[in-house]
Amino acid sequence: MSATTGHKAPPMALSEEEIRPRRWTREEYYRAADLGLFRPEERLELLDGEIYAKMSPKKPPHVTAVGHAGDILADLFGPGYHCRAEQPLVLNDLSEPEPDLVLVPGTRFDYQTEHPTATTALLVVEVADTSIRFDRGRKREAYARAGIRDYWVLNLPKRRIEVHRDPAGSRYRSVTVYQEGDTITPMAAPHVTVRVSDLLPPPPVPGE
Amino acid sequence: MSITAVPPQLAAAPPDKGIRPRRWTRKEYHLASDLGLFGPEERLELLDGEIIQKMAPGGPHAAVVTCATEILTRAFGTGHHVRAQQPLILTNWGEPEPDLVAVPGTPFDYLPDHPKAADAQLVVEVSDTTLRFDRSRKLAAYARAGVREYRIINLLERQVEVYRNSSGPRYRSVTVYQEGEAVSLYAAPHVAIQVSDLLPPQEPHS
Repeated sequence: MSATTGHKAPPMALSEEEIRPRRWTREEYYRAADLGLFRPEERLELLDGEIYAKMSPKKPPHVTAVGHAGDILADLFGPGYHCRAEQPLVLNDLSEPEPDLVLVPGTRFDYQTEHPTATTALLVVEVADTSIRFDRGRKREAYARAGIRDYWVLNLPKRRIEVHRDPAGSRYRSVTVYQEGDTITPMAAPHVTVRVSDLLPPPPVPGE
Repeated sequence: MSITAVPPQLAAAPPDKGIRPRRWTRKEYHLASDLGLFGPEERLELLDGEIIQKMAPGGPHAAVVTCATEILTRAFGTGHHVRAQQPLILTNWGEPEPDLVAVPGTPFDYLPDHPKAADAQLVVEVSDTTLRFDRSRKLAAYARAGVREYRIINLLERQVEVYRNSSGPRYRSVTVYQEGEAVSLYAAPHVAIQVSDLLPPQEPHS
């Protein structure tokens, strides 16, 4: 007998794609919601068939940054477009996340029966504070796979914007970091530019 | 403008504090099932609030589960029974279906509720493709729920791993038994089970 008391058995190098969470389709996700399976206070989103729960309540810095960036982007694109904050975006049968901001053409009433889809979204923005790893991980992969052409992560702690373009599979071929002082041109609005410092909320006052 | 690719160490994707997979309670899980949200062909289990899809077992797995059921049923003797791939209640968030669970009494003693972790004298997983999972998340869930003895019949390395003395998400004692050795049961210490009897015969090398 070979006793190895107190030690964990050696890990096996084995790919275990077999074990994965049950995947929900959008249709099942809606049915579950209609049947009252989710509590009313839950903030959920469906990503690659997995139902995610947002754990932290919306905090003032995040809400402020989303609202502010939304206003700036709506102004920037002008009439004929609008900016949707924390509303569903249909990526495919298995994904319906609620990005912080989605810039789409048309009026709100154009989306009265169906949410915007990956092809209608001209720009997707996530404001990242507590969710930075997720926004750069599973979320980014899902957006890339769905072919979102312009994906911006507003990195609040680092006060910069990470612009993802040229999706290929589950990756973006191009990732560009814009610092304060830089300007960005959205892909869908090549005639305009926006300053990073205008999109971000004002920096915290030292000592506060 | 500074063009720099995001350094790879920033690109990791483990779940963080802001968001995580929604956790299902047992009640919600059963309600979803009763409401017909899951297809009849689906094989699912609830682990740490996550609904996990189980794979259809392969031939060796199925054979070993069947064979081990018989061996353990004999070893435990009357007064106990062995349940194969049936639900075991761990917590409000956990109801996996271990390959084997030995519990006291008759099957009808566990109506209307399935056995709970405290009822289990022994929990066994037969592992080939699921080895890593059975040693990590499954093990942690069983340990946390206080399952007193957990065994893995490891088909890949042809050994039996015995985990005892749970402490938080771990077992303090791990003993590995190879072919040629015999294992006994905590609940039936006088019975010796040959490790080789729990494994499929080795294919002759041609």
